Amino acid sequence: MPMPLILTPEQVAFLHGTLSMNIGAVGRDGWPCVCRAQGCVVARDRRALTVLLSASRGRAVLEALDAGSAITLVASRPATHATLQLKASHATRAGVSAAHRAASARCVAAFGAELEELGYAQGLKSTLAKVLPTDDLVALRLMPEIVFDQTPGPDAGRVLAHT
Amino acid sequence: MKILLESLRPCLDGAIPAVVATASPDGTPNVAYASQVHYVDPEHVALSFQFFSKTRENVLAHPYAQVQVIEPKSFRHFRLKLHYLRTETSGPLFEYMKAQLAGIAARTGMAKVFALRGADVYRVLDIENVDPRLQPAPAPPDALLKLRGTLDHLGACDDLAGLADRALAALGRGFGIRHALLTMLDESGGTLYTLASLGYPASGVGAEVALGEGLIGVAAREAIPVRINHHTGDYTYHAALHVADPASPRIPLPVLANPHSQIAVPLMHGTRLVGVFYAESEQNAFFSHADEDALVVYGRHLAALIVQLAALPDDAEPALAVPAPQPSGAPLAVRYFAHDHSVFIDNDYLIKGVAGSILWTLLNEHAASGRRDFCNRELRRDPRLPLPDFGDNLETRLILLQRRLAERCPQIALAKTGRGRFRLELARPLRLNAAQPGS
Repeated sequence: MPMPLILTPEQVAFLHGTLSMNIGAVGRDGWPCVCRAQGCVVARDRRALTVLLSASRGRAVLEALDAGSAITLVASRPATHATLQLKASHATRAGVSAAHRAASARCVAAFGAELEELGYAQGLKSTLAKVLPTDDLVALRLMPEIVFDQTPGPDAGRVLAHT
Repeated sequence: MKILLESLRPCLDGAIPAVVATASPDGTPNVAYASQVHYVDPEHVALSFQFFSKTRENVLAHPYAQVQVIEPKSFRHFRLKLHYLRTETSGPLFEYMKAQLAGIAARTGMAKVFALRGADVYRVLDIENVDPRLQPAPAPPDALLKLRGTLDHLGACDDLAGLADRALAALGRGFGIRHALLTMLDESGGTLYTLASLGYPASGVGAEVALGEGLIGVAAREAIPVRINHHTGDYTYHAALHVADPASPRIPLPVLANPHSQIAVPLMHGTRLVGVFYAESEQNAFFSHADEDALVVYGRHLAALIVQLAALPDDAEPALAVPAPQPSGAPLAVRYFAHDHSVFIDNDYLIKGVAGSILWTLLNEHAASGRRDFCNRELRRDPRLPLPDFGDNLETRLILLQRRLAERCPQIALAKTGRGRFRLELARPLRLNAAQPGS
């Protein structure tokens, strides 16, 4: 049995920080699909994490995961481009708690505020709250099996940890 | 309702990074950021290939991908199902993306790690609006209306000099452009020279750009418009870098030191490149995709007018002779270097190339015979002048010469006396000196 992967405290802090997040899966027909995620919560044991996404915006990804697809999560800090990619062989649905909703709202607000600071556009914080509301959230639980440094550059793709 | 790829062009300017999802042959998904998703035509996009990444490994093995792009301002997301077709590593698409990537890289603070290795071309199979309940971003100003305003302001032109100035002024009225250059391709086809400018402290008339160098040179070499929407620190994409011969005297291009938006548009007459006009702005994202379309149409219109005006016959009758004012004062020393036809007045560089050769011929003719009135026809037939087949080159060179003289040596003037006719006017006597080789 492989050793479980335990995220470092720095990786946990990163995943709880200001991030643009997307998850990917592969449909039964072989087509890759992607959807924006809107927050994640790492478990205390640093082995599992819960990713939050909109059910309506992520229909194809959710169908693919329900059918047994592997999952990938890419999280990137807009201000620094520091990026991690975490992959797991599967993800399971979990119940959405009030804490999840709060974490999602915090993540979206921080993302919008950072984009505003970077000069993308004014009013992005409120625009993003409309684009990524917390009213149809779905929670996906996964245990990362491999973590990559995905920061743009020649070293992108370097394995940081695996089971 | 089917979503047309054209309608997504605001999402395809690199303002907000896109993500691309791919799958490895064993079905493992991968998601990566794509710095550039470029609109190729109504059915194709191209993604920048910068590194040998998992995305690239995946699409080469399993050529299917999904890209998620974002509309600036509204933040609506769209997903495109893509089928990878090929990678281009040279040619117009590659050069355009390379130039544009320099702008995107600077915008995102990634200038040092972004270099284009190839343009990966994909067929777009399906487009999904992820956020149908959200309002689209407000429509940008209508580029067709801007073009119409520009053409209205341009009006009818009956000579090339007027056209050169009004062509740029009209851009100000129609598109709000405040800084622009009009450059013409020289007879060698290897260099462009500036004929007119708008909005700079120095006119830069006569400044040269080598083909393939800078934004203007790339637009000329590839005969494509090139638009950069953000300030780039990549000096390769400043308006121009080098003159054709760095050792020869040069007139600096008067362009902005830090433009935040740039566009270079070829002046195409059929398949022939006549020149390039260049415009820039201190604002980010000043030129939209639709502006680029409209400016390409304007470039073709200008090229047709230039060719048409240059082809008009010269006036048959010579101009009425008028008494010539006697040159007075200390003589001006005019020095000519035959190897590059450069002319210096009192040791200050004036002009070189064909324009320099024309001036030297006229001044010698005047010194020998006292003639002051000349016509284009005799210049075209003059074996001393390295003139090409295209008639518009002589016309534009004369305009260039007139303007350089007006700026740098108003004591020598070429006054137009009719179509294809002009008069040499001298306020000071001249001392002509052809430099010997090596001097």
